[in-house]
Amino acid sequence: MTGDRPLGLVLLEMTLLVVLGPLVTGTIQKIKARLQCRQGAGVLQPYRDLTKLLRKGTVQADTASDFFWLIPVLVLAATVAAGALVPVVRAGPPAVPLGDALLLLGLLALARFLTAVGALDAGGAFGGMGASREMTIAPLVEPVLMMVVFSTAVAAGTTELGALAAQRGTSWLLAWHAADFLGFAAMLVLLPAETGRIPVDNPDTHLELTMLHEGMLLEHSGPGLGCMMLASHTRQIVTLGLVAALFFPVGPADRAGATGLLLGTGAFAAKILVLATFLALVESSYAKLRLFRVPQYLGVGFVCALIALALRIL
Amino acid sequence: MAACYGAGALLSLLLARWSGRLALGVSHLAAFAGAVVGLGVSLGVLLGAPGRTLTQPLPVLFPFARLSLSVDGLSAYFLFVISLVAVAAAVYGPAYLRAHSPDAALARQAAQGLALNVFLGSMAFLCCAGDALTFLFCWEGMTLASYVLVVSDDRDGENARAGLLYMVMAHGGTALLLVAFLTLTERSGAFDFAALRVAARELDPATRTTLFLLAFGGFAVKAGVVPLHVWLPRAHPAAPSHVSALMSGVMLKVAIYGILRFAFDLLAPVAGPLPFSWGWIVLFVGTTSAVLGVLYALQQHDLKRLLAFHSVENIGIILIGVGLAMILWRQEGVGDALATVALTAALLHTVNHAAFKGLLFLGAGSVLCRTHVRNMEELGGLARRMPWTAGLFLLGAVAISALPPLNGFVSEWLTFQALLAGASRFHGPAGLVIAFSAAMLALTGGLAAACFAKAFGVTFLGRPRTFHAEHAIEAPPSMIAGMVWLGALCVALGVAPGCAMRLLDAPTAELLHGPGASAVVMSQGPLILSTALMPSGTNGTAISMTMVAALLMSLTAIAWVLRRGLQRATRRVAPTWTCGMQPTTRFDYTATAFAKPLRLVFAALYHPRREVTRETAGTPYVVQRIHYAGEIVDLAETHVYHRVEREISALAQALRARSTGRIYGYIGFVLGALFVALLLLGVVYG
Repeated sequence: MTGDRPLGLVLLEMTLLVVLGPLVTGTIQKIKARLQCRQGAGVLQPYRDLTKLLRKGTVQADTASDFFWLIPVLVLAATVAAGALVPVVRAGPPAVPLGDALLLLGLLALARFLTAVGALDAGGAFGGMGASREMTIAPLVEPVLMMVVFSTAVAAGTTELGALAAQRGTSWLLAWHAADFLGFAAMLVLLPAETGRIPVDNPDTHLELTMLHEGMLLEHSGPGLGCMMLASHTRQIVTLGLVAALFFPVGPADRAGATGLLLGTGAFAAKILVLATFLALVESSYAKLRLFRVPQYLGVGFVCALIALALRIL
Repeated sequence: MAACYGAGALLSLLLARWSGRLALGVSHLAAFAGAVVGLGVSLGVLLGAPGRTLTQPLPVLFPFARLSLSVDGLSAYFLFVISLVAVAAAVYGPAYLRAHSPDAALARQAAQGLALNVFLGSMAFLCCAGDALTFLFCWEGMTLASYVLVVSDDRDGENARAGLLYMVMAHGGTALLLVAFLTLTERSGAFDFAALRVAARELDPATRTTLFLLAFGGFAVKAGVVPLHVWLPRAHPAAPSHVSALMSGVMLKVAIYGILRFAFDLLAPVAGPLPFSWGWIVLFVGTTSAVLGVLYALQQHDLKRLLAFHSVENIGIILIGVGLAMILWRQEGVGDALATVALTAALLHTVNHAAFKGLLFLGAGSVLCRTHVRNMEELGGLARRMPWTAGLFLLGAVAISALPPLNGFVSEWLTFQALLAGASRFHGPAGLVIAFSAAMLALTGGLAAACFAKAFGVTFLGRPRTFHAEHAIEAPPSMIAGMVWLGALCVALGVAPGCAMRLLDAPTAELLHGPGASAVVMSQGPLILSTALMPSGTNGTAISMTMVAALLMSLTAIAWVLRRGLQRATRRVAPTWTCGMQPTTRFDYTATAFAKPLRLVFAALYHPRREVTRETAGTPYVVQRIHYAGEIVDLAETHVYHRVEREISALAQALRARSTGRIYGYIGFVLGALFVALLLLGVVYG
């Protein structure tokens, strides 16, 4: 196997994802602002927001239980742990087995479940509404996402993302099969849903007509809100990293040393930038869908994923 | 073990004469002792030398049959699962019954103690039965004892009706089993399983499949798979909560035991794979049950009923694993290792489901005995009043939603791996069906998470909606101890699944005559789960739940320190913002509202009906009262059962015209029937 990743490198990659997460959000916001002919805030704005939130005091709802206090920490931990399962700078299975794509999706689902539980704790209608909608969309997104993962896993013979990326190798462009195109199409449909962006959700507003994820954060404040924000930045970059690992497993897998690491980081940054630009473009050019149109929208992804899987198996 | 359960049953009858409380205590103590002995016996067989079987002849009751008990790997494993939950139920039971109905009559307490011991004893001996007669006796004992327990909590006619439905359906299933067993015993001339096995070798394929379908039908009724599930969500909630935990967590598993025993042991052909249809039927039934079970669970607002529907779902997940193992076993060019993975997944989910469903039912029982309310719309805010119960219920909720790092995830992960590997080895439509079933399993997991976010959030969080919820207090320590035992199991099985694999070695190796579970799944080390999707086996998938749990723990600690360290300003408590209005319980999201989007998305399955009436004062803009009524229908119930019920009623009406009310008329009918039966017999054998 080319380039097994030692535990230190895995943890380093995880830290890199957490540190770069807000930058991706900042970049998307900047691109959106430019597309709207605005100057927009700097790409570093999410970092400023986070440091400010972490220094603020907390106001907690009087109805909330002790769980409410714990939830931001747990959500952040689950999301960051998911980050440890994505190969960033180098392909290949980790030297110490950690988890595969299913575990990654499971950890993200755990974060979402805890967020929804936290939203119900404050006893306000907004939190409940957000939680209800989020938990409606999530069960529809998850199977499709799993099918996309399956369609590549069947080809590679493993669901471990690092090994999967290594297996598909660097000659990816010539080896793309019809199933890859369809799977990628399904993934593009799912990306806005999984990262909480238009046309499924709107990250910029708390308005009750649009809110899914943001509605659930309403009652969090101060460092707790900071943790939740950092978790959603991390979730976004982890999802993008998952797409990169599944469909663009291009990394200098066989080159060790500092050059290899640098090249890998550069390649990863380029992939993430392309996907982030895609998200910004979609968000600028579409309106948000009505909630009950979202299942139909996801249905397109489902059909693509199903055909991709069928092509692999038949 | 027999002594413990028997003594428990008898003592509870005897002591009831003096003190109901003493009777309950002693009977539960006896049940506890029985469960501990059961654990000892099963662990002895599971961890002992491979292929070890304990055999114990029973006293001769009938001249025509030798009765015996025999504990092999499969029996021991199910005995282990039963005993695990029985321990918790026995610890939990007395305090629950006292707190729930303090002024119960002596006779009722005695009956509950008796029935509990008979129930546990017959389940334990059912799994150890070495012959058909013992099996059927225990089966019937289990049904009758659980019937007594279902109707023992009687408050209204609802329980009695639930019990009646349970009784009718369970006996329908028993009838199917009887036919299957008697056909085999007629050919073998003896009742013990060894003779049945020999007799089954000479069966022609059609008879073999018919017998399997009969047995599967009989067990499926008990397991509560769709569409035979209608009794389950009625009967399980009606029983006392620790009995619900046993019925849902364990009694359904006995049916799984039966299916495995028939498919892989009694009826299996000597060589070659199982007949084509068996595995596919089981896989189909499992997938349907999983998806429909969770979809109907989503729309329930009765906490225990919701949990009962989740049992339908989880039995479905187990059957997916079982079906897949049946499809893959001894298949050309697939390799036995894969069938082992599928069977391991199913058996692991069996113990996992017993642990978390037991925990959840006990948690619901704690809520019930402190508030006397099962409808979650009338609860809320219990997390502040019952922190232990809430925390443990949340643990169970995370486990049942198949979220890492708890045990539900591990068995679903194994099921997914087996499904994926199966799909990639069966090319063509078969592979596609298996892959589709994997997608449905993913949908099930997501919906279960939604359902438990609702169940936990509405019951335990927010503001208390009624007086009962507001004045609830924490459950007594012995009830919490029962829950902590099961909660610890959920964590242990999730974080270190390797311990369970050791126990799975004996049943998988004996049933499939292949490699044991740990040889296949734990090949890379004690803390690592790994499977190989491809036949070459070079490119396995390996995960380590222990490492991930450790990572999660340390990240939580880091995040906690980060937040604590940076925070300078204080924590303030303030009312929730409700757009300037006075916050009341009406602002809390209800369970009905929470599940509404999914009700609309899956409207085709639910046929939701709602009725809103407004009382207005003069103009339509001033609304005085709004009345909302909504319901969903169970497709199986309306399309199958109501139709059958109508037909039977119509038939009965038609017969009524012939019934004269005179005894001569009835004697005439009996004679006529006898004549026809003799005539048929003459035609068949003559």
